[in-house]
Amino acid sequence: MDISVLLFYGMSFIILSFALAVVVSNNPVYSAFYLAITMVSLAFVYFLLQAYFIAGVQLIVYAGAVMVLFVMVLMMFDLKKEKDSFSKGRLSNILKVGSVGWLWGLIAGAIYMSSDLLSIGATLHTKDGVGTTTKDLAILLYTDYIFAFELLGLLLLLIAVGAVAVSRIKGGTHA
Amino acid sequence: MLSFDFLGTVGLNHYLIVSAALFCIGMVGVLLRRNVLVILMSIELMLNAVNLSFVAFSHFSQNINGQVMVFFVMTIAAAEAGVGLALAVTIFKRFKEVNISFFEQLKG
Repeated sequence: MDISVLLFYGMSFIILSFALAVVVSNNPVYSAFYLAITMVSLAFVYFLLQAYFIAGVQLIVYAGAVMVLFVMVLMMFDLKKEKDSFSKGRLSNILKVGSVGWLWGLIAGAIYMSSDLLSIGATLHTKDGVGTTTKDLAILLYTDYIFAFELLGLLLLLIAVGAVAVSRIKGGTHA
Repeated sequence: MLSFDFLGTVGLNHYLIVSAALFCIGMVGVLLRRNVLVILMSIELMLNAVNLSFVAFSHFSQNINGQVMVFFVMTIAAAEAGVGLALAVTIFKRFKEVNISFFEQLKG
């Protein structure tokens, strides 16, 4: 058995168990901590998949920026006494979990049925001369996807202004 | 007769199964929890599951376009978290509560 196989199984176990802990944990601070571990493990899996730039961006953006945002907001709230952290209604909760489990079963079944199709179509759409290194990613980002990239910059500017405007609302119905 | 050959090598299917499981865990969190912050975290989990499947497809088809999509999804997710948390802070200032069952009284 290869070492990468063992790494894959270990990392997927860590990712799934800590993702479950995010959902199950009663304390939101613990949830944020488990979410950070999940993000770091996902970055490791991206590293296994040879997506080095994406792994670095995952570490910086998710495990860094987004988690800091969550923790800052958690510190602003007083969440010592959290009651009713789960929605009420035993039957509806069972129905929700059951339907989500059914959805997972459907997806897994679809993946299992189409495994031959996936392996055949795997190398059909490779463009000649485009590798999979970070340099190729950068070239693609600044040639084919330049318009979407600029739009993302505009979106981030709008979000920055909008978040400041929203947080300045004093609590009335009209800002 | 069940065979366990699939345990020895890791292919695209394994990553897709893990991605689907991660997505479903995030979905359970969105459906079951009532704390706004935990709901936002669960949405982040779902977005990460999609990213994982994008990167897996990109690796196994040797096509880098999927990684560009992951880059875009990450940016959008960061923006979404920023706006969602700003709204949560505003609502917390108004109602002193992060439980979504209190938000039924919101009026425009």
